[in-house]
Amino acid sequence: MSIFNFFRAAPRASAVQAKERLQIVMAHERAGRSGPDYLPMLQQELLAVIAKYVNIDENKVEVKLDRGGDCSTLEVNIELPAREQAKAAAATKPGDKPAGNDDAATKRPAGGAVGNAGGKKRI
Amino acid sequence: MSKIIVMTSGKGGVGKTTSSAAFATGLALRGFKTVVIDFDVGLRNLDLVMGCERRVVFDFINVINGEAKLNQALIKDKRIENLYILPTSQTRDKDALTREGVEKVLNELSKEFDYILCDSPAGIERGALMSLYFADHAIIVTNPEVSSVRDSDRILGVLNSRSRRAEQGLEPVTQQLLLTRYDPERVEKGEMLRVDDVLEILAIPLLGVIPESQAVLRASNVGMPVILDEASNAGLAYSDAVGRFLGEDIEHRFVTPQKKGLFSRLLRRSA
Ligand SMILES: Nc1ncnc2c1ncn2[C@@H]1O[C@H](COP(=O)(O)OP(=O)(O)OP(=O)(O)O)[C@@H](O)[C@H]1O
Ligand SMILES: [Mg+2]
Repeated sequence: MSIFNFFRAAPRASAVQAKERLQIVMAHERAGRSGPDYLPMLQQELLAVIAKYVNIDENKVEVKLDRGGDCSTLEVNIELPAREQAKAAAATKPGDKPAGNDDAATKRPAGGAVGNAGGKKRI
Repeated sequence: MSKIIVMTSGKGGVGKTTSSAAFATGLALRGFKTVVIDFDVGLRNLDLVMGCERRVVFDFINVINGEAKLNQALIKDKRIENLYILPTSQTRDKDALTREGVEKVLNELSKEFDYILCDSPAGIERGALMSLYFADHAIIVTNPEVSSVRDSDRILGVLNSRSRRAEQGLEPVTQQLLLTRYDPERVEKGEMLRVDDVLEILAIPLLGVIPESQAVLRASNVGMPVILDEASNAGLAYSDAVGRFLGEDIEHRFVTPQKKGLFSRLLRRSA
């Protein structure tokens, strides 16, 4: 469906979407209110572990979080330098793509919601 | 013993000052000796909405600093018996609000007044925190709009963790929702969150729904709390809300485009 149709047909009333978006974001915010924000720490420690085996350029680390209703996904993409390919392959399990651009190094459920985040980003 | 009420929202511009002026006036009209305090240090506005801007000599901060006596700073309303305004400073900043200073003033006021109504500034910083710290009761002013609802939820969290009652492990601050600028026509078109949507999300009891109304601007133009405009829907809705606050069982009005409907019956549950 094109953007044009989207506004035209108004498949769902915007107020309904407002409510759904609020329910999801606020469930996460309420859960996070009590504890400290662990994401920066998690990211740091993850990177530290990976850095033990591969040289990583901190500017080539991309962290994405998608807070969903049933589960959340944390996606960390690390671009591995070409020279480190051999070393990286030895240190990680086989099947990892070599030095790709969008190599998903790790994915974890986050945000307190329990769910099977699996290896795929939810759409 | 007086009761301390805070009118708060997190988000700015949702109608806290309008509601504070209306509510304080409504309480005084019903015979309660009431004072309304402007906590928005640096951005004094309650005086304009109450129509006493030309009579301000000393302010809340002067009293906190011992530069003026409380009864020198209190302004007695010219229209309504039992109604007083404590304006804030326009020149100082919110750091002037010390917890000890605020407590001292509130203690002194509570000897004389039935209700002390605190008009909070926007945000969750010092001014807002000081205005809610000593509260017994909080009126959460919310617009039917995503950012306002989310900010209201933040403020509820702050009330439950950083108020005096929370810190000292006393009975929690009681909380009620005042949904303002409600437009039943837009709700009907699916363009605006419904009252029961907001209630479901925030999960606090409903004190009132104030419709979007041109009377609010007209009233502020002339410095008259809108509750005194008895020909306006907004004025009547504020009047109802004050009645409910005092424990009366009043049906919600102005929540549907028509006069009455299923909607108002549904709402009775949550009142
Ligand atoms: N029910 C209403 N219908 C129409 N306009 C309204 C209504 N309530 C408030 N307003 C308008 O919204 C604006 C903001 O109101 P007000 O100053 O009371 O908000 P506030 O929450 O105190 O703002 P601040 O956070 O800056 O202190 C004003 O112009 C006021 O006239
Ligand atoms: Mg204000």
